[in-house]
Amino acid sequence: MILLKFCLILFVVNSLTIGGGFMMLPVLHKEFVEKYHWITNQEFLDAIAIGQITPGPLTVMNAVIGYKISGLTGAVLAMVSSYLPCIIIVTLACRYYFHYKDSVIVSSSFQGIKPAVIGLLAAVAIPLGSTSIVDLMTFSIAVISFVVIAFSKTDPTFVIIGAGIVGALFL
Amino acid sequence: MYKARSISLKNIFLVFLKIGTFAFGGVYSMLIFFEKELVEKCKWVTHEEFIESVALGQMTPGPPIINTGICIGYKLKKIKGALVTTAGQTFTGTVLAVLLAIFYVKTKGNVLIGSIMKGIGAAVVGLLLSIVYKMAKNTIQDYKAAIFALTAFIALGVLKLNPIGLILVSGLAGFIVYKEKKE
Repeated sequence: MILLKFCLILFVVNSLTIGGGFMMLPVLHKEFVEKYHWITNQEFLDAIAIGQITPGPLTVMNAVIGYKISGLTGAVLAMVSSYLPCIIIVTLACRYYFHYKDSVIVSSSFQGIKPAVIGLLAAVAIPLGSTSIVDLMTFSIAVISFVVIAFSKTDPTFVIIGAGIVGALFL
Repeated sequence: MYKARSISLKNIFLVFLKIGTFAFGGVYSMLIFFEKELVEKCKWVTHEEFIESVALGQMTPGPPIINTGICIGYKLKKIKGALVTTAGQTFTGTVLAVLLAIFYVKTKGNVLIGSIMKGIGAAVVGLLLSIVYKMAKNTIQDYKAAIFALTAFIALGVLKLNPIGLILVSGLAGFIVYKEKKE
């Protein structure tokens, strides 16, 4: 039953969020952490980190959460339910490319969704930040990571690995 | 594209496996890598078809890179192609993520791993905020978009409303606000 709910949430999220893997985080956090308590804030952050250091999109973090919830089956089902909506929607959009591209409904509603999910993502940083930023050291790590990724072209993977080393040495 | 009919599913899988395995370093560098493999080396799609697929990937829900691949797969071999490109592109990442997940679950409680994850957790929050900053700079360019973002922030951050509902409502609001301009 949990697994079915889990897959359904992933299916819905991946059908609705536009603009890349990060944009699914607000919904996933609400459902997995706050509503169903399947994972903790810290585990959610860890899954994001694993999704970020592995090749490909962040979506792979769902496999990590799936594994945590019910082992290998969970991981495989997580991937299937994450990518299935993409396959359905994209092949349809590809087939009816010009209708889709010029569709007023699609473009105008996504024009509203795009800035809204940015607001949602900012809001989700609050509970995650209050879990992980607990002292001066963790605060400094967060600030430095922000500055490095926002204002340089450094691959976030290196920042995460660097923060892990700093954590091993000082935390 | 004419040659496309003779391309085997196995070859599509292998090329996308390669793309998915070496796809590090942000969307932009991934797309350059994509184009080199598919347009220049394999000559499976033309430059125009590639650009079209990238645009479609960004206009559809889900990860844009995967969606670009699905679109190219569909152009090459219809639905079979779409399935094969998705499988190829996501294979390496998924296997690595599952291995890390196994390791992660097994080492739960280990003090050193705990410290490492604490450092990483803080960095992920910085990463999230930098994504917010970058996306906001690209997307929020007028007061209407700013209102969408701010409303959503308050609705989730303060009022704790359901984000799926908020996304649906913002889509509806977007349709009402922006439809006139497009027509």
